[in-house]
Amino acid sequence: MKTTKIFDQDHQWIMFGRDHEKPESIIDTNQYMVVSGKRAIIMDPGGIEVFAPMLGAVLHHAKVDEITDLFASHQDPDIISSLGLWDQALPHATLHSPWLWEGFIRHFGMNNIEYAAIPDEGSSINLGSLTLEFIPAHYLHSSGNFHVYDRQAKILMSGDVGAALEACEAPLYVEDFEEHIPKMKMFHQRWMPSNRAKNDWITRVRELDIECMAPQHGRIFKGDDVTRFLDWFEELEVGTAIHSGK
Amino acid sequence: MVIHTEATENKLVALASIAAELHSVMEVAWGVSLAAKNAKVITAQSSDKALGFQPIAQFIDEISQLAMNGVNDINNEALLLTRIAVNELRCINAYQLFDSVKVKNHEAQYIDSMAPALKQVEENMQASKLAYKKSFNQLSMLLESMDKCMLSARAIASVSRIVTSNAQEYKDKLKVVANDLDEAATYIKDKLSDSYQHLNNVKLD
Repeated sequence: MKTTKIFDQDHQWIMFGRDHEKPESIIDTNQYMVVSGKRAIIMDPGGIEVFAPMLGAVLHHAKVDEITDLFASHQDPDIISSLGLWDQALPHATLHSPWLWEGFIRHFGMNNIEYAAIPDEGSSINLGSLTLEFIPAHYLHSSGNFHVYDRQAKILMSGDVGAALEACEAPLYVEDFEEHIPKMKMFHQRWMPSNRAKNDWITRVRELDIECMAPQHGRIFKGDDVTRFLDWFEELEVGTAIHSGK
Repeated sequence: MVIHTEATENKLVALASIAAELHSVMEVAWGVSLAAKNAKVITAQSSDKALGFQPIAQFIDEISQLAMNGVNDINNEALLLTRIAVNELRCINAYQLFDSVKVKNHEAQYIDSMAPALKQVEENMQASKLAYKKSFNQLSMLLESMDKCMLSARAIASVSRIVTSNAQEYKDKLKVVANDLDEAATYIKDKLSDSYQHLNNVKLD
């Protein structure tokens, strides 16, 4: 599994992904970890299939007992079906996830980890001296959905927003936005159900100072490409599958 | 440590098969219970003509209740054993994955920090094995006890055939009850034997 530090100052953001050893039939995912002092949070830790390479990669950057928190943006299997295994690896950790999905996510197996339900309006977590904010992203695509914003690093972990379906060989960062559009257009049109929710999220996110937007699939957006993405997404009509019934 | 999950997966199939075998036993035991209640009504109506059948009807009723309770107990134990087997499978999976992480990432800076988690999973795995053994023995005992109960039922069915020969016009009705009991006990014994077979296929490691 490829590991890249995407922010390295007082605290670190590490991206894990582009896993060449994963079964070909499963979608490639980006996992993120923020390390701040003696504490770390893993965001969207991934499915069962990527658990072992993920844990192996994590142990290059943090001790097991320093991983105090997990975050699941929503309930999908590629996001958090590895929970039953993390539950045995990190018995004292806390999982931050939408309140809406608690009863569902527990089906993945959770006997030890504590569930910290995030209310609809969002919340924040202190990781040592660092504060991370859970930004509402409901219906993008899940009905209970959050992103993570780091005001200090100016990074938004944007879950499925900004995602692209790509091969493991794909570069880490968007290099040519126009060229990248075809790789993410269908994903957003088909997976995102609501134009109203989309526009509500764009309004909220435009108020944030973002240097880097890191989705759970595909490439990371940097600098002006973040604004380009927001402009493109604003124009895009989503929830298109309902037209097929015409 | 080399651990195979296949044996645990087979356990789950075997335990599900036991539950399936016993489902039909419950229906049969319920049928016998109704027949026994019917026989009690017949003996009550017959005054002293089928007097000898009264305690037998009572016994058939009791034995059908015992069978139904026994099936419930066996089902509950099989369910518990299934839960333990599922937990064991999860522990084995976790252990194998943790171990593979340790082997493949031996150069990772913090690889030693996962030692407590690995140890805990290994302990959980051993605890699951012990719990499985205990529950397995309990299930074997319940199946054995039920088998004895059915043996008694068959014996009483033979006795009841002799007793019904003196029951004059009620003879045929009571003979049907005796035959039903015999058939039911034979059927249940067969199913118990199949259950034993399933259980023996997944004997303790």
